[in-house]
Amino acid sequence: MKEELNNVIASAKKEINDVTSMHELMQLKSKYTGKKSILNSFMQKIGSLSKDERPAFGQTVNIAKIQITQLITAQEENIKELEYSKTLRSESIDLTMPGRKRAKGSLHPITKIWREIEDIFMSMGFEVAEGPDVEDEYHNFDALNTPQDHPARELSDTFYLDNDVLLRTQTSTVQIRTMENHPLPIKIISPGSCYRNENDASHSPMFHQVEALLVDKGVSFIDLRDILNIFVKKMFGEKIESRIRPHFFPFTEPSAEIDIVCVKCYGEGCNLCKGSGWLEMGGAGMVDPNVLEKLGIDSEKYTGYAFGLGMDRIAMLKYKIPDMRLLFENDLRFLKQFS
Amino acid sequence: MKISYNWLKNYIDLKVSPEVLKDRLTFAGIEVEAVEELGKELKQIKIAQVVKCERHPNAEKLSLCQVNDGTETIQVICGATNCKNNIKVAFAGIGTQIQDFKIKKAKLRGELSFGMLCSEKELGISDNHDGIMILPDNAQVGSDLAAYLGIKDTSYDVEITPNRPDLLGMIGVARDLSALMKLPITLPDSKIVEINELIEDHLSLKNEVPQLCTRYIARMIKNVVIKESPEWLKKHLISVGLRPINNIVDVTNYVMMEFGHPLHAFDYSNIQGKKIIIRKAGQNEEFPALDETTYKLEVDDIVIADDKRAVALAGIIGGENSHITTQTKDIVIEAANFLYSSIRKTSGRLKISTDSSYRFERDITDEVAELASRRACDLILEIAGGELLKGKLDSFPSKKDLKIVSVRPSRVKKVLSIDIPSEKIKEYLTALGLIFIEGSKDDLKFKIPYYRKDLTREIDLIEEIIRLNGYNNVPTLTRSQNIMNKPVFYARRKVEDLLINYGFSEVINWNFGDPNDIDKLKINKIDERRDFAKLKNPLGESFSIMRSMLLPSLLKNALYNINHGQKNFRIFELKKVFTRKDEKLATEKLHLSGLLCGELDPVYWKNDSVQLDFYDVKGIIEDILNELKIENYKFQGSDEQFYQPGLGAAATVDGKIIASFGKMDPKIVADYDINLPVFAFDIDLDTIFTRDIFHDTIFTNIPKFPPVLRDISFVISKEFNYSDIVETIRKSGKNSISKIVLFDEFAGKNIKEGFHSLTFSLILSSDTKTLTDEYINNILKKVNKVLKNSYNAEMR
Ligand SMILES: [Zn+2]
Repeated sequence: MKEELNNVIASAKKEINDVTSMHELMQLKSKYTGKKSILNSFMQKIGSLSKDERPAFGQTVNIAKIQITQLITAQEENIKELEYSKTLRSESIDLTMPGRKRAKGSLHPITKIWREIEDIFMSMGFEVAEGPDVEDEYHNFDALNTPQDHPARELSDTFYLDNDVLLRTQTSTVQIRTMENHPLPIKIISPGSCYRNENDASHSPMFHQVEALLVDKGVSFIDLRDILNIFVKKMFGEKIESRIRPHFFPFTEPSAEIDIVCVKCYGEGCNLCKGSGWLEMGGAGMVDPNVLEKLGIDSEKYTGYAFGLGMDRIAMLKYKIPDMRLLFENDLRFLKQFS
Repeated sequence: MKISYNWLKNYIDLKVSPEVLKDRLTFAGIEVEAVEELGKELKQIKIAQVVKCERHPNAEKLSLCQVNDGTETIQVICGATNCKNNIKVAFAGIGTQIQDFKIKKAKLRGELSFGMLCSEKELGISDNHDGIMILPDNAQVGSDLAAYLGIKDTSYDVEITPNRPDLLGMIGVARDLSALMKLPITLPDSKIVEINELIEDHLSLKNEVPQLCTRYIARMIKNVVIKESPEWLKKHLISVGLRPINNIVDVTNYVMMEFGHPLHAFDYSNIQGKKIIIRKAGQNEEFPALDETTYKLEVDDIVIADDKRAVALAGIIGGENSHITTQTKDIVIEAANFLYSSIRKTSGRLKISTDSSYRFERDITDEVAELASRRACDLILEIAGGELLKGKLDSFPSKKDLKIVSVRPSRVKKVLSIDIPSEKIKEYLTALGLIFIEGSKDDLKFKIPYYRKDLTREIDLIEEIIRLNGYNNVPTLTRSQNIMNKPVFYARRKVEDLLINYGFSEVINWNFGDPNDIDKLKINKIDERRDFAKLKNPLGESFSIMRSMLLPSLLKNALYNINHGQKNFRIFELKKVFTRKDEKLATEKLHLSGLLCGELDPVYWKNDSVQLDFYDVKGIIEDILNELKIENYKFQGSDEQFYQPGLGAAATVDGKIIASFGKMDPKIVADYDINLPVFAFDIDLDTIFTRDIFHDTIFTNIPKFPPVLRDISFVISKEFNYSDIVETIRKSGKNSISKIVLFDEFAGKNIKEGFHSLTFSLILSSDTKTLTDEYINNILKKVNKVLKNSYNAEMR
């Protein structure tokens, strides 16, 4: 019988080592060690042995069982390893093939600049104010100290809907409306669309402008210089200096125009700055006491500064866009560059 | 630190209730962390008089009493042997809570009892349980026991900031309150009755460490009687959380709580060699302290020693070898001050924190030592008897003059931006004990009292001025006018970003429009979009109005790009549109319009390309509305004529149209020379932004019970629409169906003409229980039944 048992172990060893799938291995497991297995049938034969022989035989069968179980466990590990390497082979890919992407859209460059300006000023405590595009003459001209016979009021310069209804030519209108409706101090920017009756290579009849206004006790020219410097550096980088030079606007006194160091040549002189090293950015000044007084604000107590910047121009300078018309053509080959 | 309302009243006639005082303390900068109402456990105990006391008819050891509680006469059975006629007692009526039990009506051996006469132990007043508490004859019948005993008090646990060591005692707090509340303060006066015998004949003092011990005063009293302290003293100590020990120790603690300056009393008989030496400890010197622990000292520790050994660890804890015992007759009272950093170092290293070290660590003042010493001697003579020897031993190595600090009213104005006149400034600061010396118009000079070491600069005085003026009496200025509508501002950016992530490119067109476009898009004759805001001097006919719609511009952008080889694109514009009828200016509304053309996804080598369809646009609209937190929107067919018939939809909220979308009519698109399928949408952001959509997310509980997923599938006529079917399923689910997801639609093979098969995943969940199979099957049965009955659906 012992010989018989050895044969069983030998055949089990062979069979177990030959299987390559987990399913087959489990079948062998039940064949050799399960309830109705060969080894169990040996155990049943124990009754036919003498009492003295029984313990030794029982032990032999048990050892055989342990041996076979160990063989199965070992083979199980082999098969798992085999299956794992199979998986690796079957899932192997060409890592250089393109990845899956979603279509990516893009914000218009003007909107990108618009948002950047809002964020810069909001971080300094300014609020963003809005007003209508279709305005009356009062808010666009009268309240801003622009005389009746000022050339800007001409049809050739301004779009009119009625005699005294027009498309705003600047977002300074929002400053007036804000001061009419809110107590001081006021610290706002007003970005938005403006319109002028001109259409050529360097002028668009609709353009985008941001105006800033601070009216409070103790606001002075130095504050204006400071805010312009901060803004220019945040927008164009630390290298870009700004300067102001005397100019005339009806609603500011003293008035100034703002220049920044040329973003292309950094002041050396180039075709962008027409050799001057400086680029014009917009207008600025201390709010004219007349403007404040018209709004019932005591101009002895309160002072303020205001300035306006062209957002389209900022976008062109910042992104080095050579032609203004690109901004409104909406060519996707242009727009997608800003994704 | 704990302070007591009653105790404060010894110095200042507080005219406010304990509740109000709590606020006053807080606004004085003394933050109250906890308030304890003392004596509240005696709240219902009344003083009563026994009018008749006789033996209980059925019990030898009980008496049957008639008690008058001021309003009525009540029968009470009492077991105490000291119960007699006419005595005043502490009476607890029916319903009174005493410790853990509530007094109820009781029947004892056949007689009723309606209350209880209490012992001191039962009341928690003392450990005395020898009979009931008997009150003096002058006790008012019917009055509150706690009030009569003076136990009724309020104790505040306050946080003293590190800059204010002067507030570490009741007097300091009272002084601050007196300045704040404009009330006079009464300080204990000092008598100091001495006998002729000189202290120098009994004791000598040597300060070996003048840098570390900045003041040391010793006074000596002979022949004191050590006993229990009187009630008033015990009560005060208990009210601030201190345990009464004996009259001498209690006085030192009392004076510490009064002046914030710790004292120590030695038994003179234990001071060897009649000498007090203040010195550094020896390395590894052993010191047996009062707390029954022997500490190993280091050379940086300061000790108070006699000829032979240390008798106290300076400023921290007394010695086991020299403390006051019942046998003590002659005592030495120490009032000293030590360098705070040294005390902090020693107490930190040895991990000993006492009321004494707590104060010395906070840099208290040398000068108060003398006040505390005198006060302690007065009190000891009063309650422990004895004779105070003449004079004192006093080491005060570095006595300094009072500091002078100037304040400029102009500077006060500059820092506080309110006008406080010079007179007011003087009033505030002198109320705090500062002495005004002299002043020109803009320079007021004050001598700073020794107890305010924290006031060294002008700005310190300004802080005191504003504290007394009241922080909240400074007017608030509105620096922000709330001009911008921030929720709308960010909602707009959110929508833009969402579209960018959907692959849209933003376009910006001139706001000028061509009136012919409105005809081209077949806009109704009476539509308000025909109320054009016309320009008087336009650039030309095609720019003669302000746009009332964005879509025509987008179609032109589409054509431009198609002509330049783009067939797959998505563009949007978010801008104002304009109409003008009777209004002076124009009506300007924010709209968002978009066009989509071509394939759903970019070309990808793993997938077949899929063309955009209606549901892609619908998904985008749904995403935008969800992003804007619009709830309860519904869809219906759109009335816009520019959508292909049957493929244009409108989204509504409360019956109002907020968006339209769909496939554009190929004929209309062809009018713009476009021959590709184009999908479009137009959203009325202005209307959406005026809705109350900008509320914060409120957390909802995460379900405790796992959800169960079940699928149902049925064939149904195409005449019924999806949203009705979903609503039917939801309603028949008895709130158990939390989500319904369509995951398959199929028509054709094996399915009748005009019918289709729909398969839904239902997610069932409950907040209160795990759903059983039986329960779920019942729900599904109900759903099936309703679908069958309502739509003649055939379940699969
Ligand atoms: Zn240049």
